[in-house]
Amino acid sequence: MMAQVMRRARSARRITDSLRLREGALWQGAARIAVVLPLAALVFAVTILVIKARPAIIVNGWGFLTRSKFDLGQSYATTVNHIHGVAVPVGASYGAGALIAGTLESSAIAVIIAVPISIGAAFALTERMPRWVSQPLGFFVELLAGVPSVLFGLWGILTLGPFLATHIYPTIANNVPNVPVLDFFRGSSGHGEGLITTGLVLALMIVPIITATTRDLFSQVPALPKEGGEALGMTDWEVARRVTLPWVRTGIIGATVLGLGRAIGETIAVAMVSGSLLASVAPNVYGTFGTLAAAIVTQLDSASTDGTGFAVSTLAELGLILAIISVGVNLLARLVISRSSRLGAPVGRA
Amino acid sequence: MSALPGTGRRRFIAIGFRVGTYLALSLIMGPVIWLVTGIISRAVPHFSWSVLTHPTAGESGGLENAIIGTLLLMLGVLVIAGGIGILAGLHLAEFAKPRKSGKESGHLLRTASDVLSGFPSIVLGYVGYVALVLGLHWNFSLLAAWIILSIMVIPYIAKSTETALRQVPTAYREGAEALGMPAGYALRKVTLKTALPGIVTGLLIALAIACGETAPLIYTAGAFADSPVSVSLTHHPVPYLTFLVYGFYTLPENASHYLAYDAGLILVVLVLLLLVSARLIVNRTQHYSEGRR
Amino acid sequence: MTGSTRLARLIVALTATLAVGVAGSLAVATAAGAKAKAKAPKGAVEKPSAGTVTETGSSLMYPLFNLWAGGYSTKYSSVTVSTASTGSGTGLADAANGTVAIGASDAYLAPSALTTTPTLLNIPLAISSQLAAYNIPGVTAHLVLSGKVLSSIYQGKITTWNDAAIASLNPSVTLPSIPIVTLHRADGSGDTFLWSTFLSDADPSGWGKTIGFNTTISWPNAPGALGETGNSGMLAGCKATTGCIAYIGISYLTQALQAGLGYAALVNGKGQTVLPTPKSIATEAAGFTRKTPPNGTISMIYGKIKGGYPIVNYEYAIVNSSQTSSSTAQDIRSLLEWIVNAKDGNSPSILNQVNFQALPASIVTASLKQIKTIQ
Repeated sequence: MMAQVMRRARSARRITDSLRLREGALWQGAARIAVVLPLAALVFAVTILVIKARPAIIVNGWGFLTRSKFDLGQSYATTVNHIHGVAVPVGASYGAGALIAGTLESSAIAVIIAVPISIGAAFALTERMPRWVSQPLGFFVELLAGVPSVLFGLWGILTLGPFLATHIYPTIANNVPNVPVLDFFRGSSGHGEGLITTGLVLALMIVPIITATTRDLFSQVPALPKEGGEALGMTDWEVARRVTLPWVRTGIIGATVLGLGRAIGETIAVAMVSGSLLASVAPNVYGTFGTLAAAIVTQLDSASTDGTGFAVSTLAELGLILAIISVGVNLLARLVISRSSRLGAPVGRA
Repeated sequence: MSALPGTGRRRFIAIGFRVGTYLALSLIMGPVIWLVTGIISRAVPHFSWSVLTHPTAGESGGLENAIIGTLLLMLGVLVIAGGIGILAGLHLAEFAKPRKSGKESGHLLRTASDVLSGFPSIVLGYVGYVALVLGLHWNFSLLAAWIILSIMVIPYIAKSTETALRQVPTAYREGAEALGMPAGYALRKVTLKTALPGIVTGLLIALAIACGETAPLIYTAGAFADSPVSVSLTHHPVPYLTFLVYGFYTLPENASHYLAYDAGLILVVLVLLLLVSARLIVNRTQHYSEGRR
Repeated sequence: MTGSTRLARLIVALTATLAVGVAGSLAVATAAGAKAKAKAPKGAVEKPSAGTVTETGSSLMYPLFNLWAGGYSTKYSSVTVSTASTGSGTGLADAANGTVAIGASDAYLAPSALTTTPTLLNIPLAISSQLAAYNIPGVTAHLVLSGKVLSSIYQGKITTWNDAAIASLNPSVTLPSIPIVTLHRADGSGDTFLWSTFLSDADPSGWGKTIGFNTTISWPNAPGALGETGNSGMLAGCKATTGCIAYIGISYLTQALQAGLGYAALVNGKGQTVLPTPKSIATEAAGFTRKTPPNGTISMIYGKIKGGYPIVNYEYAIVNSSQTSSSTAQDIRSLLEWIVNAKDGNSPSILNQVNFQALPASIVTASLKQIKTIQ
């Protein structure tokens, strides 16, 4: 009896011992499978996109990138055209020119507004502020990153847009000097939807990411040159200009491009504040327009009314263009940041 | 504060710079406060606790089903993306062996993860719609939403796990080996345990991102505000808070607008809870870790 | 095992099999009998099983569908009807995809959709109409507008309210010289379908030839044109924009009036100027009743009907007649039968709240016939 118990205990311990020895291999195996999954998901997504977009790419051609049109065609016609073997409704014609322009315009405005503000705020948070102030304020900025984009859109369309349209925009539009180049700033402001409101909302959304990256970069600047500059009597601004900024210049470019990538991919807030047009470029800075992301989100559910499937295919093409632009910008940013961080090999830091 | 130069242009510029930086900070704070108070001031007058206990019915009602739906979505993301993301980060930090050339391995996989994090969310939503909802005939479903949200969020979790693991001092790992611990045991009891706060922070932030998403969910979980919550993985749309904000602010009834604001309020509270918890964890570990100020 | 044990076991097994077989067939028989009993006599509403019926689509029909959902669920609490206002385009697409049980649409099915999914039905549920609404301060009377004038406005050819073309139709009204801001639907919309059909029919050589009609169309560049989402987006946008013109469904008439918008009397196919009243809408619909085919596909817009308002349409439920689950099919049939019943869903007490008109009796019969084919 005793021998049986002892035998059972020994074999149990042998099992747990061998399991414990194997545990490392288990973790390693599971981890190896897990790390491949993002790559697999990426390949899957791109494959689906390319397969779905292929008919549209064949029919729409290169002119797709410069034309501005979104015509589902005569779904109610009794016949269907066949172009290069692809079934297309009569009169269907698509062009993403206005959407690409709108995406780039609104993101550019967002970046132009957000970058100086983010850098300034990063300075305010890292230099010369007592910790009990800079920590909560810094956390506040991080909180901004977590606010859902629908709420930004809601605020833009209910509060910010109308406020700016009634108080600020008419003042600007009426007082802009009569120079042709500045015609872009003249126009009726409607009830707040438009290019510049979208740019402002996007700017607020990308500020956290630029500020956070800039703060990290600032913390990597070695103390020695900065303190040396101060010892020589330089002011904060001169230290910033001659020591900090040159040191992090490439990194800030990277952070900017990162923010640009976020602005390009933003969907819901833009759909709510831009006016969601599909084939028009904003005629002036207050005008309504559309972006690639907003077009996809507003049109996808009704695109299936096109029984030939061509509209859904064109949306895949839009998605592909958006993905290429967005991923390209993102990769560029990370390349630049990683290069600059390595350059930040500090002198005199322990 | 550095002493200001006594006179002239330098003094002016120095003051201007300081004012400028604080102005920049206030240009961020101001709109944020405006936004949050705007949501709160619109939501609170019409908020009653019954909003939390009644489901949405047509154009009005409550938010019970949307809240449960959002939590259900987050739970799935926690399990799926959390599990996969942590393991992926683990691989990148611990198991990616340096190649003979001395360069770090795992470069392709890390780049793929970075690329995925820059992938526009609506395009992932499109892929989910076309491949899962329509292609596999799952219809609007919990599973499709879980998969797409997880794909979006795994890169963040992997990155934060990798960072957290890399910060574990080598001394800990060497000590574990010196004590004769088997590799897996040391991994679990020493490395992961030490990195846990960082990992959990990453998870909380990822959950905050997931609960705030709208565009990909519209095409995977569906666009039905008054759908009852069901645990069936497919063929049943899922209600969630962000759609209530997006879909209801355009409806004509005032009751619908109030629901939209209330949903916004609950979202703000939810995100606040997640991010504050994350920050508290970071502060506590800095408090107790080495090199404490 | 002894021989007697084996025999006993055999007898038990045979008895058990027999019992199961009898019980099974009894169950099947009662179920079939129950199903047969559930097939209610003509005109009455079928009893549903339990489940959820999902509906999405037309923002024009949305207020009404919510009333229907509420009324139906009070009577048959085992079914949850879940509604959404996403635009007829989505209703058509989702019903075709199978992602929703009922797609609500102001537009009938396109031939291309039927080619892809031949089992789709468009079932008329009620009769609705559309307003040409405007926001012109100082103008309180109903303006007279014609399809040709509206076509020119939306093409950007007429840009101010005091244009000669508008003034000639409204000699007794002082029109201000403010610019016209055209509003259109950015989402796939049945209202766009109705409006563009009207403009195509009234201006065949212009709009009809170059732009045509659809749930999403390529809008010409009129100065300051705005895209809005949903009927309520059109309403809110028009309220906030002086000089706007917008097409809004008649279910939003009360809100439009509260918002201070006016609506026009349109010129119909007979050249008469008609306001959208219950009488004029019913007249137009009556003129098309006999011409309506059994599948319900017909446009009632710009008919040559004396005293008829030119923009009138059937509100359709887009349903796939072959459903994956027979219990869902049963619930859908039950709901739709309740809706077209003149005492339940089609009763004036419900329809009047949204200014819709009830289906004529012959159309109800045709709809019921279509509903029965949903399996």
